[in-house]
Amino acid sequence: MPTVKKAPSRFPNEICEIEVQRDISKCISCGTCAKVCPFGVHERKTGYNRVSKPLSYLCIGTSCEDKTFYCVNRCPRNALSLVISSEYRTIGDYRWTRALIIGTWKQAETGIPLKGQRYEIGNSGGGFDRIAFNFPDDEGRGEMGGEDMAHTLHLTPHTSGDISTEIDLNKREGKKISIKVPFYGGGMSFGSISLSVMLAKAKAARAWGTFTCTGEGGYPEALKEYDDNVITQVATGLFGVMEDTIQRVKIVEFKYAQGAKPGLGGHLLGDKVTPEVARMREAVQGSSLFSPFPFHSVYSVEDHKKHLDWIKELNPGAIVSVKVSTPTDVDMVAVGSYYAGANIIHLDGSYGGTGAAPDIAKKNIAMPIEYAIPKVHEFLKQEGLRDTMTIIASGGIRTAHDALKAIALGADGVVIGTVELVALGCVRCGNCESGRGCPRGIATTDPELSKAIDLEWGAQRLINQYAAWRSEIVDVLKRFGMRSIKELVGRYDCLIENHEITQD
Amino acid sequence: MPKKYSIDTIPTPPRHTPIGKFEIERGADCINCGRCAIVCIYEVHKRQEEDLRSMAEPVVYRCKGCFSCIQECPRATLTIRDGTDYSRLGDSYWTPEIINTNWYQAETGKIPVSGAGYRGPFSGEGFDSMWTDMSEIVRPTRDGIHGREYISTVVEIGRKLPAIKFDSHGEIVSHIPPTINVPLPIIFDTLPFGRFENVYGAMAMAASYLDTFMIVDAREGFMGEGQKAKGKRQKARWEESHLIPYITQPTLHSFDVDWINACKMVELEYEEDVLGVVNEVKTLNPGTIISVRVPFGDNVAGTVEELTYAGIEVIHLYADLNGKAVNQTRKKSLLIKDMTQNVHRHLVDLKIRDDVTLIVSGGIAMAEHVAKAIIGGADLTAIDLPLLFALECRYCKNCQEDLACPVELKDVNSEWGAQRMINLIGAWRNQLLEILGAMGLREVRRLRGEVGRAIFLENIEKNTFDKVFAREVSHDANG
Repeated sequence: MPTVKKAPSRFPNEICEIEVQRDISKCISCGTCAKVCPFGVHERKTGYNRVSKPLSYLCIGTSCEDKTFYCVNRCPRNALSLVISSEYRTIGDYRWTRALIIGTWKQAETGIPLKGQRYEIGNSGGGFDRIAFNFPDDEGRGEMGGEDMAHTLHLTPHTSGDISTEIDLNKREGKKISIKVPFYGGGMSFGSISLSVMLAKAKAARAWGTFTCTGEGGYPEALKEYDDNVITQVATGLFGVMEDTIQRVKIVEFKYAQGAKPGLGGHLLGDKVTPEVARMREAVQGSSLFSPFPFHSVYSVEDHKKHLDWIKELNPGAIVSVKVSTPTDVDMVAVGSYYAGANIIHLDGSYGGTGAAPDIAKKNIAMPIEYAIPKVHEFLKQEGLRDTMTIIASGGIRTAHDALKAIALGADGVVIGTVELVALGCVRCGNCESGRGCPRGIATTDPELSKAIDLEWGAQRLINQYAAWRSEIVDVLKRFGMRSIKELVGRYDCLIENHEITQD
Repeated sequence: MPKKYSIDTIPTPPRHTPIGKFEIERGADCINCGRCAIVCIYEVHKRQEEDLRSMAEPVVYRCKGCFSCIQECPRATLTIRDGTDYSRLGDSYWTPEIINTNWYQAETGKIPVSGAGYRGPFSGEGFDSMWTDMSEIVRPTRDGIHGREYISTVVEIGRKLPAIKFDSHGEIVSHIPPTINVPLPIIFDTLPFGRFENVYGAMAMAASYLDTFMIVDAREGFMGEGQKAKGKRQKARWEESHLIPYITQPTLHSFDVDWINACKMVELEYEEDVLGVVNEVKTLNPGTIISVRVPFGDNVAGTVEELTYAGIEVIHLYADLNGKAVNQTRKKSLLIKDMTQNVHRHLVDLKIRDDVTLIVSGGIAMAEHVAKAIIGGADLTAIDLPLLFALECRYCKNCQEDLACPVELKDVNSEWGAQRMINLIGAWRNQLLEILGAMGLREVRRLRGEVGRAIFLENIEKNTFDKVFAREVSHDANG
């Protein structure tokens, strides 16, 4: 397993929940606080008379209250106080609450999962945010019928042995490909994100024995050493698709649509088409690039099969994933993809997405992933195809808990995107497209801004975040008495509706 | 092939300093190092022009909430918080986000785009309890070279015949009722406030440019630029054909033949004896289309049925500003989304749906509402408040209490205002095209009542999660 190493925020001031305030008019700089605080919030640098400004993000908050080292109580002048920071109040939204954003940062820093509901679900009031786990030893599964209850009870707590989080990506004939964790990195194109972010993703994927995806924007040379962990995308614009790139990889992803902008195609603004991006995409610098919609050569399952055959002809060893959005007939699309020869059906729900998309599309077009997963799972079962198709879900998977719920709803694994960007310091301001691009240097190819992300640091943050997720997944499986993540697939009885969720 | 309809948008900046989403405060221990000015890519932070040694006050309305300056400040002396004025905008229906996006569209003419996924609640009431569908592989296609296959947003106002009859010589014997084509399913409704001549001027110019219509209360005497003589209805100028006069208490109104002849369409307030007035107007000019304005509320479907059977060609169903029923006795107020569906379904069941055009208004706040109202069964929508937002209105309701308008609506330059409205509608139409394109529809008329192209929260929750959560113990399923 890859090594988890501390990868602190790259900012001098990390945003945190609790702000430690020192009233300068009262403080006598006695240094008591610096002496008592075991977390390094207060510091008196040698040679300085005054105590430095408190490093609030190191503070563990009010859970310190009853300890002897609680600075607020120990200060002889009552100059210290803890308040909810103004930044904490401002950051976040319904789907990605402040706790989820900051929690993800912490996990990326330490590799340790955070416990508690606020780090597990958002505040959107539906979907994953209203689903909880129905752990066998938990009270209150009042909503379950007798038979389900019995089903749950025959599970015995798991005590020993390793718990596997490995899943198979190919259940059909041909090369077996499995990944060590039930998630892989979503497609983000070179151009929409910087090269170092792309490489950091690839590096983390290799470390964890999983995959990352190029998105639709070509295959930078620097990714070559990660060939075995890269999925290359063939999307409607065919940008950067070459025989060579198809032949290099183990998985090729056909992108029919993406959840954030179903039926709309991609759009890279001219400003982001730098000379390098243009070269990679075989396009002209500075001119906006549209990925059309739909595939102009696919209007039937037969056309679809022709496409897949083309890939399999070029690279007989590759398995093919078909990425689709979630319309009402997504179940039919999944079956059609099976008959066209796909190994993976990748469902991309409407609430996710990383790059810029019209707000109207994100909010309205196609259904949230929570509905699409059981729909496809059930239909493939009915058609007798569930054991030959791998279902991968994405579009709004924010936490390890979301991933586990998606699997219990019927997916084999998930694809993550936004959470990786958050791990790298994204605040979800949503301004990926305006001006010079991402002000945080993540989703940009601006030469100055993209310097912000160091490859090694980025890779470590992602390795840590994956580690935290895996650890949480193992934990949940343990509570269900399961030995493998594969046992959780489609286990509706492990889920329960939670109507009483309220968040701060 | 008909001429392609398009709306030219021109960036039109606001007159007043915009209300920022965030507030940034610079603390007293700032050392004027200028780090914030380097990291901010939106030019919130700058040095003082008169004294470069000091930092200027942050230009907060430009802040996009990236937190970079906050996190990079070596003294940790910058504070960010949600904008106080911003959070207070509008109300629970007309949220700050809705008002702000409408401002943005009126300024830029662009559709709102953002990254990092959706950030709102999972679902909500009314229009927020449905999603629109898409199709993975159907036309109309779009690409960067050829643009997109043309999607028509034309709708017809008036009665449509189910079939046309011919005599033995091949001559049409059916009486063809008058219809009007509107190039987009949006007309302008009467305004709840801000009824100033220059605002009307802007609306009229925008309606004329867009080739759509505006409904104007006939009492207000506004019949176009240059028309000063109050009470005397005379032919308006170039905007004339884009006006729909709205007549309240039509039974007490006396109609003038010249005036009627100048109108393509007239809207009458619904009254018990409205049919008598309709006959009177039709006698004066059979070519005038008459719309009856009916409030959503108790027995609205019955009223619509009765009017349709009586030969009314157009019915304008209106809800209150928040899309709720106007007069109804039941406790829980119905919402425009469901009420539209109910009326539409009722007319379909009676097989008289095409006998009447349904205009729906009240609470149409965003482009998606236009599409969703049409899916529910409206032919077209009428909008009100968003037009005022185009003029920077903050919906502070000061004017309703006779207080000063913070954006001085009264002094709006009509041409500036018209362009802002054109930009707004241009952006809305483009969003409508996105929705139609994703579904594979090539004309908006086919969207009407297409509930099969929508996903309703109630249904999908039930269909999916009843099974997942074993909600109902079925007695025969296990047998």
